Amino acid sequence: MAYAYLFKYIIIGDTGVGKSCLLLQFTDKRFQPVHDLTIGVEFGARMITIDGKQIKLQIWDTAGQESFRSITRSYYRGAAGALLVYDITRRDTFNHLTTWLEDARQHSNSNMVIMLIGNKSDLESRREVKKEEGEAFAREHGLIFMETSAKTASNVEEAFINTAKEIYEKIQEGVFDINNEANGIKIGPQHPTTNSTLSGSQGGQHAGGGCC
Amino acid sequence: MVHTCTQSPRDGDLFRAFPSTNFFSHVLKLMNNTLCVCVCVCEEDDLDESSGPQLPSAAGRRKNLEFEPLSTTALILEDRPANLPAKSLEETQRHKMEYDEMVAGAKRREMKEAQRKKRQMKERHRQEDIISNAMVVWNNEILPHWDNVKGTRRVRELWWQGLPPSVRGRVWSLAIGNELNITPELYEIFLSRAKEKWRSYSETSSVNDSESGASLADRESSLDLIKLDISRTFPSLFIFQKGGPYHDLLHSVLGAYTCYRPDIGYVQGMSFIAAVLILNLEEAEAFITFANLLNKPCQMAFFRVDHELMLKYFAAFEVFFEENLPRLFSHFQTNNLTPDLYLIDWIFTLYSKSLPLDVACRVWDVFCRDGEESLFRTGLGILRLFEEVLLQMDFIHIAQFLTRLPEDLQAHTLFTAMANTHMISRSRRWAQVFSALMKDVNKEMDKNSSPALRS
Repeated sequence: MAYAYLFKYIIIGDTGVGKSCLLLQFTDKRFQPVHDLTIGVEFGARMITIDGKQIKLQIWDTAGQESFRSITRSYYRGAAGALLVYDITRRDTFNHLTTWLEDARQHSNSNMVIMLIGNKSDLESRREVKKEEGEAFAREHGLIFMETSAKTASNVEEAFINTAKEIYEKIQEGVFDINNEANGIKIGPQHPTTNSTLSGSQGGQHAGGGCC
Repeated sequence: MVHTCTQSPRDGDLFRAFPSTNFFSHVLKLMNNTLCVCVCVCEEDDLDESSGPQLPSAAGRRKNLEFEPLSTTALILEDRPANLPAKSLEETQRHKMEYDEMVAGAKRREMKEAQRKKRQMKERHRQEDIISNAMVVWNNEILPHWDNVKGTRRVRELWWQGLPPSVRGRVWSLAIGNELNITPELYEIFLSRAKEKWRSYSETSSVNDSESGASLADRESSLDLIKLDISRTFPSLFIFQKGGPYHDLLHSVLGAYTCYRPDIGYVQGMSFIAAVLILNLEEAEAFITFANLLNKPCQMAFFRVDHELMLKYFAAFEVFFEENLPRLFSHFQTNNLTPDLYLIDWIFTLYSKSLPLDVACRVWDVFCRDGEESLFRTGLGILRLFEEVLLQMDFIHIAQFLTRLPEDLQAHTLFTAMANTHMISRSRRWAQVFSALMKDVNKEMDKNSSPALRS
């Protein structure tokens, strides 16, 4: 199916916080209580509509264990959006946010939109991290913030879509250079204005011309 | 009224007689009821007693079937209930014909299904015969003379055909060996050390939660992580999960390993390898084989997450990829699909996560025979097997496909594809290609050839 833009997302955060479950809920609208372990990286894709335009999200779901950081670092490249996930029932996953953020900032392009997600909001009785703490952390570091539940699907759509809205706004404001694929944005095959300029950029092929 | 209706066979007449659609549908319902189709599962004996006039013959015919299905699908033609007007002769005839057709159709399907089952059983028996014959050969002729015969052409060929499950663990542990000289006693020592740690860990974390400091949490995190990951290892088998028969065993083997090799610790992917070994070996033997397997150069490179070295493996893989499947290779390049995206999962778990378990065990058989080279050959076999499909896909679909391979993937098709994969590039073998790339490390650190490093 034709799309106006393709955004690359990366999902990061400690192991076991529910990254793969969030992705599965977003792409397949289902929850798997015991999800397979992610080794390396897995992928998902879905089409959304923003401002009447079809946008394809290409989502990279990474392994969370610290040992894999050196590998996942190379996947930040060319991501337009990142979902940084922690588990509201495990404080250590919240404590590690700073190092995740450092990593993300260092290895991605500076305009990458980062959405902070406190997942497992359905487990209120086991909560270890207050919602206000997540909000404060997000405010301090200039991130968007949401609490989600991959289990009940609460805020899952919103988390992925609001990130895309933010990216879309940045494109409108001219912050993102959409002709530079390193920004994690590709222009769809039928886009009206930029086809001529695109061919001159980046030298390499652009997968945006492919199907969805 | 209904009687009149059923005597008017054309739809138009029906509509004229009963213009109200509600009424019409009501009539239709009644008509349907006259041909009451009941599906019941019953024993042959019951059938004879309870059946209407048509059934004895049906049951008789069924007895002529070459193979008796376990259950029988009976279609019963019933007369219209007594409180309703009787059917006309014409209608009775028509219903009888429809009924006969349905019965004949059901018979055909039953026959077909029975024949399919028979073929399946035959194939299973054939496989079982092969396995039991192979088992005798392995037990009587090969294993007693292991060191002398393991490299012979005949044994290697039998090996490629798949190890019988009853000797699989034994052959794996012999082939992987015990260079590290680990004894069952040593395993017990590391296991008790691990148990000690778990105890003290759970005590400290319950007493002072956050004050105990990040250092302790990080030091012990790999022990904690094991717990989290065990439930996520082969979740569909339901044997490693909490309360499952192998949960504690998997916990023990992985815990003992983190105490045996604290420099490596627990790394995700290990739980799959340990699980497959536990399914095939006794506890201590599984640990010994596990530790020795991880000690192999390729596994060491991956589980230490030595990125530089991993890229060398990927680069060597790409040499053979281009040699074997040039069209797909360039398709992947065009789509920026680098081998790390799928090989990491495949190599870390030795294919046990992405292939069906029985197929993965066959891959392990060959890995034990041929070493690391076979892991990359397997990868190329998968790519060859799905070449045509992959050529039609774009980046995201290829990436999704390769990280989630079809569940019905068959061992024999994969092994044919692997057999057609030649691990020779410009008359150089895997080891030569790999060591040549290793020499390049020093020469051209910056001009690395694997795409993943260009990031």
